[in-house]
Amino acid sequence: MRRLKDLKKVYDWVEMRVGFEKPVKEAALHPVPKNTASWWYVFGSAAFTLLMLQVFTGILLALVYVPSAGQAWQSLNFLNHNLTLGWYIRAVHGWGSNFMVAVVLIHMCQVFLFGAYKYPRELTWMVGVILLLLTLGMAFTGQVLRFDQDAYWGLGIGAMITSRVPIIGGQLVHLLLGGPIIGGATLSRFFVMHVFIIPALLLGLAGLHVWMVLKLGINEWPMPGRAVRRETYLEEYHKLTHEDGVPFVPVALWKDIVFSSGVILAVLVCAAIFGPQGPGGIANPTYIHTEPKPDFFFLWIYTSLAFLPPWMETPLLIIGPPIIILALLGLPLVASEGEKSWHRRPVALLTVMLLAVGWGALTDLGTYTPWSPHMNAWSSDTLKPEQVKALSPLERQGAIVFQDKQCRNCHEIDGHGGMRGPALDDVATTMTYSQLIRQVLQGGGNMPAYGKNLSPPEVDAVVAFLETLHKPGQKPAVNESNQWVKQFESKNTAPVPFQAAPPVGNGGNPAPENAAGTAPTSGSPPAPKKPTSVAMSMAPAK
Amino acid sequence: MTEETKMQSEHTGSVEEQHVQPGGMSKAEISRRWLLMKIGIAFNGIVGLALAAPIVGYLLSPAKKDRAYKSWVSLGDIEKYPVGQTRLATYVNPWRSPTDGQTDDIACWVRRTGKQKFTVFAINCAHLGCPVRWFPQSRLFMCPCHGGVYYADGSVAAGPPPRGLFKYKHQILNGELQIFAGQMPTLSNTAKLVTTIGPCKGDTPCAG
Amino acid sequence: MRIPPLVAVTCALAVCMLTGCKSLPGYPKHEWQPPQDQMNFHALYKQNCAACHGETGQGGMAIPLANPEFQALVDDQTLQQIISGGMPGTMMTAFAEKDGGTLTDPQVNAIIAGMRKEWAKPNAFGGMTPPAYEQPATGGDAEKGRQDYITYCVSCHEGPHDSITNSSFLALISNQALRTIIIAGRPDLGQPDWRNDKPGHPLTDQEVTDIVTYLGSLRVASPGQPYPSHP
Repeated sequence: MRRLKDLKKVYDWVEMRVGFEKPVKEAALHPVPKNTASWWYVFGSAAFTLLMLQVFTGILLALVYVPSAGQAWQSLNFLNHNLTLGWYIRAVHGWGSNFMVAVVLIHMCQVFLFGAYKYPRELTWMVGVILLLLTLGMAFTGQVLRFDQDAYWGLGIGAMITSRVPIIGGQLVHLLLGGPIIGGATLSRFFVMHVFIIPALLLGLAGLHVWMVLKLGINEWPMPGRAVRRETYLEEYHKLTHEDGVPFVPVALWKDIVFSSGVILAVLVCAAIFGPQGPGGIANPTYIHTEPKPDFFFLWIYTSLAFLPPWMETPLLIIGPPIIILALLGLPLVASEGEKSWHRRPVALLTVMLLAVGWGALTDLGTYTPWSPHMNAWSSDTLKPEQVKALSPLERQGAIVFQDKQCRNCHEIDGHGGMRGPALDDVATTMTYSQLIRQVLQGGGNMPAYGKNLSPPEVDAVVAFLETLHKPGQKPAVNESNQWVKQFESKNTAPVPFQAAPPVGNGGNPAPENAAGTAPTSGSPPAPKKPTSVAMSMAPAK
Repeated sequence: MTEETKMQSEHTGSVEEQHVQPGGMSKAEISRRWLLMKIGIAFNGIVGLALAAPIVGYLLSPAKKDRAYKSWVSLGDIEKYPVGQTRLATYVNPWRSPTDGQTDDIACWVRRTGKQKFTVFAINCAHLGCPVRWFPQSRLFMCPCHGGVYYADGSVAAGPPPRGLFKYKHQILNGELQIFAGQMPTLSNTAKLVTTIGPCKGDTPCAG
Repeated sequence: MRIPPLVAVTCALAVCMLTGCKSLPGYPKHEWQPPQDQMNFHALYKQNCAACHGETGQGGMAIPLANPEFQALVDDQTLQQIISGGMPGTMMTAFAEKDGGTLTDPQVNAIIAGMRKEWAKPNAFGGMTPPAYEQPATGGDAEKGRQDYITYCVSCHEGPHDSITNSSFLALISNQALRTIIIAGRPDLGQPDWRNDKPGHPLTDQEVTDIVTYLGSLRVASPGQPYPSHP
């Protein structure tokens, strides 16, 4: 009992000097609309909790991490393998980052759909938009600090995008990289961004964000028909909180703290199960056998860059981001009044759904990058032995040509190979012999022309192989008109001989249908040519 | 007047009145105080400028003209590169800092088409800078990022690149192949809203 | 007393963490290694060889390596030469770094050692001496080869589907490669080795040379042209 009294004395001594009690009590017990004590309102506090986790684990990692291009990668490997639980702290920080981006995005969607950005909470939304950008900035700079091959070439992508800025692009690249190449200065400046500048802004603005939430009150549950009007809203809200409100603590807060700790637990479990990300290969630009890929939350950008037409890239990359940011910032100014409920805001709902589906589709594509050639497919992706066995010797050589010339890097057979071009499992049924030859020689439809790179026998062999690619029971496609030509020719007495045509390898002229008649038609082996001078008429001894 | 401002003025109304109260000073006295205040602000402004100038200079220092970073680098004896083939070559970037680690080692593709005829391509794809890989069998460069493909002469064969591979200016000196290098090649010199797809023109020095 | 599952999970995780548990699934097992340090035969084989020589060393388009007779026929130096510098006249390309490929010399040696360990067997020829590996540049008689071809080969290579006298086929395979296949056979495709083309009558060294010379003589000046009647 005496103990307690002593404690109270100390508390009073401090309280008299700092005077926290009153504002804290006010903040804690301020009335909030009853229906906001809902599970829908927990994402903001969870994002803040994750931010605290990130700050904390970040400091722990900084105890060991060395922000030098020569040692960053090594220090991360040291963390992973030589330091007790170093890998786990890395994993928690990495997964905390994933969760934070996800929770911030969910929070934003919820706020948007609940119309919470409308009067008088416009500025809260704008600060929130900046917080989202800062969070993404943390995710990107954090990925750079890993300083592995993905980070290195990701920086290269950043530099290439920056270089598209007209006039000052080159200088901007130098500023971004801190020099002419990606190097020590580059890592140092991204370290400064990740550890000093962005966290300071993030903490400051997050504080402002929370302060404004407390000052303006939590957005009430939107009711269809209850539109926001500047003249009456504050009064209405005051009435709502004071006549039908509940104290923030504990009625609303308990859900926040339960959800927050749930999210942290999820981070811990993910970290334990999936572990830290990377670091991948060391950032050495002479190791070119790498397939760089950004982290999960930037995959959609990576995908977009694969699909944008070249003429659209520069304008979109330079003008697109500012427009998106301005649109987000300007939203509450344009739509500060009116309906809050998503039941009465079909455009808002559709926008969110469209963005979500679009983002999901782009991200999904980004996970398996169907536009990228599979660099090792030509030397590692096999055909089924049964399939190989059924081929003729020429077709088998054709299959080797197919591998050897890296066709497999872009074309799938049997579900293996690149996905840049179409899968060729039944190409024989969709293209005729001469169409195949033309496609191989001249390319087109985003396929390089192989005319200069394949010899006539190689073309002959590879097309013979492609002609075998069809489902059992189906027949290769043929040009039906050829039969009519043949019939016509046989009816008319004098068949028109073919004109001497240039060799296939040079001109790429389409060959006549089924002209691969280089295979002997009879079973008897042909006589040897030079240098032997034995009579050709010698009958085969059967 | 909006609700918002009305609310604020209700709160702060009493504060505004207090402003006029203290001291009961004469007008002259007040303007003298304000003059001192103005001098203080001006002094701060001058000191601030004196502080800002070196800071801005320091921050902008990496932004230099391309030439400042580039110089001739040797890729070794020309006999290292067989005629008719394209080989990977590496060099140490001439502009470097002590903390660069392995990032100073830069790779490039050397194509030798004749006894004295060379073309040196940057390793970076002209689309977004990923490392392109040479496949001697199909005589193509392929990029692992977004599927850019180039022919042996560096012109675009397929995919999104807006131009052919970047080429380094090169010379042969005392039997050594030298290139004019020093910075990561980017589109900054050639990025235009209207881009041409096709063979990259002439002997463009490695841009960027 | 009933423990809520959430508390149980948390406690288990905490205990595990405090012991520095390395058996958690998330523990990063392998440190990245530069590609030139990869010395594992299976990884190297899968990445560089499997496409043409088959996932298991057989059943691919190119000659099966998982054939003890092939392993016995070809010595280390030849293998090293072929893997490093490619095989002229065929589509076997150069894999060594110095020849424009990606493998270092130790990696090439690791592949050879791995093949020997996995696929070589003692006494692969059953006590017989096979014809020499190398196809001599001269000394073959094409006409004799034709006779031998009819004797030993035609029974299988008769129809157009199985033809090996096609000019495009011959343009894509070298005499040496033909010889290797004739001697070692292709067990994965059912082609017998040199002993069993005609059971009981193993081919002699000269016969193999002649057959290869004969096949080589069938090559034409401009193979694979789509207008065979109008060269």
